[in-house]
Amino acid sequence: MSTRAVIDVSELPHHEFDTFDPVWWGNNLLLAIESSMFAILIATYFYLRQNFPLWPPPVAQLTATLDPLPQLTYGTLNTILLVLSCGPMILTDISARRGNRGVSQIGLVIAIACGLSAIVLRGFEFSAMYFRWDSNAYGSIVWFMLGMHMMHLLVLTSESLLLCVWIFTREYDMKHRVDIVTVAVYWYWVVAIWLLLYGIIYFTPRAG
Amino acid sequence: MTKRRNTTLRILIALVAVLCLTSCGGGIQNSINPAGPQADNLSRLWWLMFTVCSVVFVIVMIVLLLSLRNRTKESISELPPQVEPPQNQERRRRNVVISAATVTVVVLFVFLIASFSAGRSMTAELAHKNGLAIDVTGHQWWWEIRYSDIDASNIFTTANEIHIPVGVPVTFTLHGGDVIHSFWVPNLAGKKDLIPGKVNTLWLQADKPGVYRGQCAEYCGLQHAQMALWVVAEPQEQFNAWRQSQTQTSVPPASDSQKRGQQVFLSSTCVMCHAINGTPAGSNIGPNLTHVGSRNTIAAATMSNTREHLAQWIKDSQQVKPGNKMPQQNLSDADLQSVIDYLQSLK
Amino acid sequence: MSHEEAQKAQKTTVSEAELAEVMEREREELERTWARPRGLRGWFTDTDHKAIALRYIKTAFVFFLLGGVEAALMRLQLARPNNHFLSPDQYNQIFTVHGTTMMFLFAVPIMTAMGIYLVPLMVGARDVAFPRLNLYGYFVYLIGGILLYTAFVLNTGPDAGWFAYVPLSGPGFSPGKRVDIWAQMITFTEISSLAGAVIVIGTAFKMRAPGMSINRWPLFVWAQVVTGFMIIFAMPAVMLASSFLASDRLIDTHFFNPAEGGDAILYQHLFWFFGHPEVYIIFIPALGFISPIIVTFARRKIFGYAVLVMSLISTGFIGFGLWVHHMFATPIPQMGESFFTAASMMIAIPSGVQIFCWIATLWGSKLNIKTPLLFVLGFFAIFILGGLTGVMLASVPLNLQIHDTFFVVAHLHYVLIGGSVFPLFGALYYWFPKWTGRMLSERAGRWNFWLMFVGFNLVFFPMHKLGLNGMPRRVYTYLPETGWGTLNLVASIGAFILASGVLVFVINVVWARRAGAIAGDNPWAADTLEWSVSSPPPNYNFHNLPVVQGRYPLWQATEDAPVVRGLSTTKRETLVTSVMDAQPELKFEIPGPSLWPSLVALATGVTFIVGIFTPWAFLAGAIMAGIVLTCWFFGDPNHENKTARETGERSESVPGPRELQPKEV
Repeated sequence: MSTRAVIDVSELPHHEFDTFDPVWWGNNLLLAIESSMFAILIATYFYLRQNFPLWPPPVAQLTATLDPLPQLTYGTLNTILLVLSCGPMILTDISARRGNRGVSQIGLVIAIACGLSAIVLRGFEFSAMYFRWDSNAYGSIVWFMLGMHMMHLLVLTSESLLLCVWIFTREYDMKHRVDIVTVAVYWYWVVAIWLLLYGIIYFTPRAG
Repeated sequence: MTKRRNTTLRILIALVAVLCLTSCGGGIQNSINPAGPQADNLSRLWWLMFTVCSVVFVIVMIVLLLSLRNRTKESISELPPQVEPPQNQERRRRNVVISAATVTVVVLFVFLIASFSAGRSMTAELAHKNGLAIDVTGHQWWWEIRYSDIDASNIFTTANEIHIPVGVPVTFTLHGGDVIHSFWVPNLAGKKDLIPGKVNTLWLQADKPGVYRGQCAEYCGLQHAQMALWVVAEPQEQFNAWRQSQTQTSVPPASDSQKRGQQVFLSSTCVMCHAINGTPAGSNIGPNLTHVGSRNTIAAATMSNTREHLAQWIKDSQQVKPGNKMPQQNLSDADLQSVIDYLQSLK
Repeated sequence: MSHEEAQKAQKTTVSEAELAEVMEREREELERTWARPRGLRGWFTDTDHKAIALRYIKTAFVFFLLGGVEAALMRLQLARPNNHFLSPDQYNQIFTVHGTTMMFLFAVPIMTAMGIYLVPLMVGARDVAFPRLNLYGYFVYLIGGILLYTAFVLNTGPDAGWFAYVPLSGPGFSPGKRVDIWAQMITFTEISSLAGAVIVIGTAFKMRAPGMSINRWPLFVWAQVVTGFMIIFAMPAVMLASSFLASDRLIDTHFFNPAEGGDAILYQHLFWFFGHPEVYIIFIPALGFISPIIVTFARRKIFGYAVLVMSLISTGFIGFGLWVHHMFATPIPQMGESFFTAASMMIAIPSGVQIFCWIATLWGSKLNIKTPLLFVLGFFAIFILGGLTGVMLASVPLNLQIHDTFFVVAHLHYVLIGGSVFPLFGALYYWFPKWTGRMLSERAGRWNFWLMFVGFNLVFFPMHKLGLNGMPRRVYTYLPETGWGTLNLVASIGAFILASGVLVFVINVVWARRAGAIAGDNPWAADTLEWSVSSPPPNYNFHNLPVVQGRYPLWQATEDAPVVRGLSTTKRETLVTSVMDAQPELKFEIPGPSLWPSLVALATGVTFIVGIFTPWAFLAGAIMAGIVLTCWFFGDPNHENKTARETGERSESVPGPRELQPKEV
């Protein structure tokens, strides 16, 4: 006769949101890596600034010296767009938790549209700088920061697009609902990082 | 078993002892053979740390060996594991570990204080304004030395050999000419980096007359190994005389051979890189040769300054110091000998 | 309690024979479900953590041998003054590739690999949390290593030192592709170690057996997790440094060009902000090898578990506050110097405390010293000496004398070989039986240890003296007048004794693979969970996941220790538990074999290698990777399990184990 005590786990679910799921941890560890990358990028920005009496360095234009502060228009538009994009993303997030497929689909589509527009706007942002990446160290670091963030926008939008196609064409199962919630976390993070970069790139030079 | 261990241990101890004994020797490029207050300070700090650390090391090793004294041949699976050792025994160990940790903290604190005070006494005297001021620029793979002075006529440039008066603090301003180098004369002071786009400073003082060798300490490319310099510390009068002669323009050639040598020098590619004050040669890419004949070494203290070496160097410097920036010179033997005559006359 | 009596009655419904039969059937199903693709296909698709970890270990060891050969060549060159055995260009390539290999291609990968193999087994999981990421990481690492050595063989090896300071490594002073290859290789290996860190942390946090609450983590796992977090915060710095360097060289940015506002010191900050934690990334996992070996041989619980954990964590934190002590010779503010001196000395405290705790654990125990413990004892002697010279290097004024000399070469080899390689060899002797089912020869092990120990000290002890005598590091030759000849000759002789020790190890492994004594499940009568399964472990690691009852699971397990039931035998399921208390939360399905990770690794590789020649490669690579990842996403993640899942219903309805009574623990 064998008597062996057991813990029966056969009734446990396969997926659950947030900290329950290893995927959530994987995603957040990835974001920790990316966050420290951006932190070091920002430190580099301020480190290089020490080498410049004027930041950004003045440009000798045809007639007069120009103070080439980055133009605000596109950057600000982009910031507003990205902040607004959190709306549909929150909607998607909540609906995925509740299992409301229709709302998830609508939310994702709007969010992806925002993401794509942000990428296009970023193209204009580069031109709003008075320097190319190869003009001087200021140009190099600013282009690098904008570029790095744009890479995240691209990855984020593609990821959302893939998920969107999936829930339109295939099953809206627990696994993919967990994925949607994970992408939402990534989305908020990308927007938060942008707010930080926006402040640094556009306003710290203005603050003197 | 224990016997064998003891033998090994003895051999090791003997080895350490031999090495320690040899470490008390002299040497002109030796950080524990100090010849000035800077290096002296550092050397004392070194011996303090060395002694304390040795004691710590020996004590820990003894305790470690003692902890191994209870040996057995029993198979490991026959020794029952102890998940809950007796409380009083654990408490005793805890006290020992806490004491050891406390001692560690105290020792480190002593080191910290010693280190700060050594550092302070070394930087405090940087304020010496009336000493000698020398600019050093690092190039791949030689040192450009410039003596600055308020009086412009006292300013001159030389290479790879620094003369300093004994007992006078000398302030070095260090510049990076191309890549990062590091200026290090161990008998006199610690090292400082020469970084492009930055200025670094270092002061030192020689208390004993003598020749001290320094060497680039930051990897700087192909010939990092052969980028050395000499510091010649001499009494004040001797230094003044040397300085006086260095500020002069070059000695005009006297003999026919020297005259021919000068002609060859000025009409060949030498002038693309080298300067000889008082002649049309004025390029600053390579070492200034105005008083090259007075220097003890050539090729950044790689070879002594003899006829033979000069010939070897001018004819095929790539053989001596592969990769250095001086191109081969295709001079006839006669031309070569004249050029050497000329260069040696530049005292 | 009539209810309980009823339960007891139920428990007797399964007879011994029936149970054995059910278990056997389950085992067969598990074997089928977790079957590994073999042969060439297996190479590119197998995601089993043990297979990948062993591949990592073998690859890293090959790089260790290559790095050793390079070291031997350098020692031959330096054996006497004015030697012409190697040209300066060869020497500079060799020392650069030696450092790069040992740091990036040997030490970090092999330490991560030990975690990838052992963490799931120690915490009671059937695989790592992200097995496909694991496969990807391995291939990225392999491609990086092959890139470096292909270039090296073609005489295009990097030659700017393993930390490639600008401007020497910049476009102005290192034309050609040598440094580009270095920079890209760095990015490769960093991607792989970041993947490793995420995998190890994910596994240790979420996949533990029930009952293994956070205060019961094996110290090995603690060490791996602390290392993982250090990797996460340190590696991005070097990736940025190498990316900035690559972009300065390839697309004319000016990060490090002083003429355009760039800064050479910035590179040093970025590099050492990674570079110093890197030392601890190599060293802390080794601390994780030492604790279990000492516990096993001392036959008692570790002394000061909590203190050891705190020491690991504080080492991890302080490790980030030391980087400037590599830059004391640069013009930096004095305030900064003082801070970094204090921090650099402070880090000796946790290291010291750990050593005291280990000695306290050993104290008075009846010891049967075998090779693993011998290597740990060697660690004590060598590492403590290296730690003490480390304290000397922390002092700014003294640092200015011994920095960048052979004293530093001696110091860093004492802490890295003493602190990491000796424990690593101990660990290899300790866990080899688990990996292969056979014991390494004890007699050869002793030879191996003593040759390495004596050889090591002969090579590196004289170097302290050479450094004090003014010998700078990275010189391909020296003049006879310097008087450095004798000590260099001693060091060169030592190098060959050290190398013969390593050779004995290689022979021992080759021999033991075929003829070593059969190990059994638990040859050391050790306490951690990996010793409860067969050697080598089955593909699914645990048939029934264990329930942990204490910090020393196998020593504290009672006769009737409960097990976990209810995981599918026809799907690759493992248990996900809560982070703090390891309460069961999910039945997590682990993805199986797949070709996609290798393809993405290939896309990454092609991108970075072609990127050396044209920046457009990054666009093409992004598109390529996008396509592959899309296919990966839409391909059924558990394609391999499909057939098993369809037939799975049958086994779920099998009576027997389900009737065993669940019990709260």
